[in-house]
Amino acid sequence: MTVHAGPVWQRLSPRMLLVHPVHEVLRQIPLLIGSVVLGSATGNPLWGLAGLALIVGYGVARWFTTSYRIDTDEVRLRTGVLQRKVLSVPRNRIRSVSTDARLLHRLLGLTVLRVSTGQEARGDTAFALDAVEASQVPRLRAVLLADSLAPTVEEASGRELARWQPSWLRYSPLSFTGLAMIAAAVGLVYQAGAGAALQNSRLARSGVEAAERFGVVASLIAAAVVVLVASVVLSVLRSLVTYGNLVLRRDAELLHLEHGLLRLREHTFDMRRLRGGTLRQPLLVRLFGGARLDAVMTGVGGAGEASLLLPPCPRATAESVLSGLIARPDVVNGPLRAHGAAATRRRWTRALMLPAVLLIALVALPAPVWLWPVWAALTVCCALLALDRSRALGHRVDAEWLVARAGSLDRRRDCIAAAGIIGWTVRQTLLQRRAGVATLIAATAAGVKSYRVIDVPAELAWTIAAAASPWVADNAWART
Amino acid sequence: MNLVEPANPPSRKAPLVWAIGAAIPWLMLAVGQVVWFVISPRLPWVHAVAAAATVLGIVLFVGVVPVWRYRVHRWDIDAKAVYTRAGWLVQERRIAPISRVQTVDTERGPLDQLFGLANVTVTTASSAGAVRIVALDSEVAERVVAQLTDIAALGGEDAT
Repeated sequence: MTVHAGPVWQRLSPRMLLVHPVHEVLRQIPLLIGSVVLGSATGNPLWGLAGLALIVGYGVARWFTTSYRIDTDEVRLRTGVLQRKVLSVPRNRIRSVSTDARLLHRLLGLTVLRVSTGQEARGDTAFALDAVEASQVPRLRAVLLADSLAPTVEEASGRELARWQPSWLRYSPLSFTGLAMIAAAVGLVYQAGAGAALQNSRLARSGVEAAERFGVVASLIAAAVVVLVASVVLSVLRSLVTYGNLVLRRDAELLHLEHGLLRLREHTFDMRRLRGGTLRQPLLVRLFGGARLDAVMTGVGGAGEASLLLPPCPRATAESVLSGLIARPDVVNGPLRAHGAAATRRRWTRALMLPAVLLIALVALPAPVWLWPVWAALTVCCALLALDRSRALGHRVDAEWLVARAGSLDRRRDCIAAAGIIGWTVRQTLLQRRAGVATLIAATAAGVKSYRVIDVPAELAWTIAAAASPWVADNAWART
Repeated sequence: MNLVEPANPPSRKAPLVWAIGAAIPWLMLAVGQVVWFVISPRLPWVHAVAAAATVLGIVLFVGVVPVWRYRVHRWDIDAKAVYTRAGWLVQERRIAPISRVQTVDTERGPLDQLFGLANVTVTTASSAGAVRIVALDSEVAERVVAQLTDIAALGGEDAT
């Protein structure tokens, strides 16, 4: 980490001269369409060419106006074609470095390198080198993390904690990503104005005729089946493309996560900033015995892609990886202390509120008979939800770890290191006060920042807090 | 194990300031309704319902809630921790160790300045862990800030 790390302004890879124009053209498609329309309207195709040239020129200018430098105590990034901006990050605040290579980047051997400081950074304020040559990444990573990580860290291949298996695909068909993708595609097509064009087209007419021939119900069922199959296929494909070849590796104090067949992503986490993990079991994944694992770390966003350690995988895998990381198997899958009758009662009243209101509406208003079976089915679902939610509730606490489990549709088991908890809140709504329960909220600097233990008996709330954080019991207000 | 309630109430002027703060938007709404009635007095029952809702809102948020909040709000500081109770319908008790405090801010809105009040916010490294002590008399707030910065010796450690 010597030669190029000196304090000089450096350019990104010259190959970005190819990538930037393409990305700009893709981003400015509306502008391009506008200029082409203008060109054909005025009978002067030069308008379209001028628009294209402008956009490509802007893309090229982006490369010439972007530079970065790595000084001894901070890294700086200068960007902006028209509006200049300098972003500087103190090097000792760098918490993690992640890389990300989309398809075009990969074809050219480029990688986007992102530096995370743990502050909320979005869009323009995120420090991203887009892009550097992939061969430079290990060197840059070492330089950038040199200040915040132990100097002994080498790029050696450490112990492998988990590797993607084809069998993990069985958890993806039932996720909603496929449906979401279909909905997004349909929305896009309609926004582009294709909806109106489609309505009068021959295709739509022949579709309607065919539907009339087969009968409306049959056609609707057929359409539903097609959408369902497409959604399943899309979900599986997306999961395969995103997570196929995922490898989670541990080198001493560093955790490396690599995944993506087309878009290759790589995250490096500093183990010393690990404050626990969250095992998440969405209902449909749980039915198949699966779980996903999120890291709870300071300096890493708590939700979404940033904190992901394992996508839906067999529960045993997720549990063994987490217990390997925190060296406490009992925290990961030990039994939990239930929250008692009041908490269970609250789950039931809340779940059955909707059916009760609907029942009143059904009785009061003249309702068609077929609504009754629908109502009955809904009530059964709500009851099952209440049962599952009340069985999920539980906590476990000792001097080192706080564990909280809750939820049914999105069940999560949060395992939080007690040392990372820097504040406690006991919250009670009016109904909770009457039921004698309270929600205990542990504040940490890691992950999603606040972790809740829902509906614990009110008299236990401070005891749980004190078990994890001795300072809660060691002050002027504590009474035994 | 249990924690007794924190000892110190906010400023005696707090309910008044809260009531005024709540009265301003509600009175604007009431004036708007009067204007509406003058412009189009048709459908008297709609006006009556709207007026009743406004009166109810004023009674609740100007008359009841400030007093309720004053009875709930408490704060206390000892050598190791800062502890508050706040809210009315939803009540929160929050405790944070002073060793993890990152900043101590004082904030005074226009009404606060008029009545000589101040709010103290004690932030920690967690966005969920900030402790707010609201509606203190200015001199009390200054004393609190001095006391907190004194004990905290800010900037000592990473505090995460």
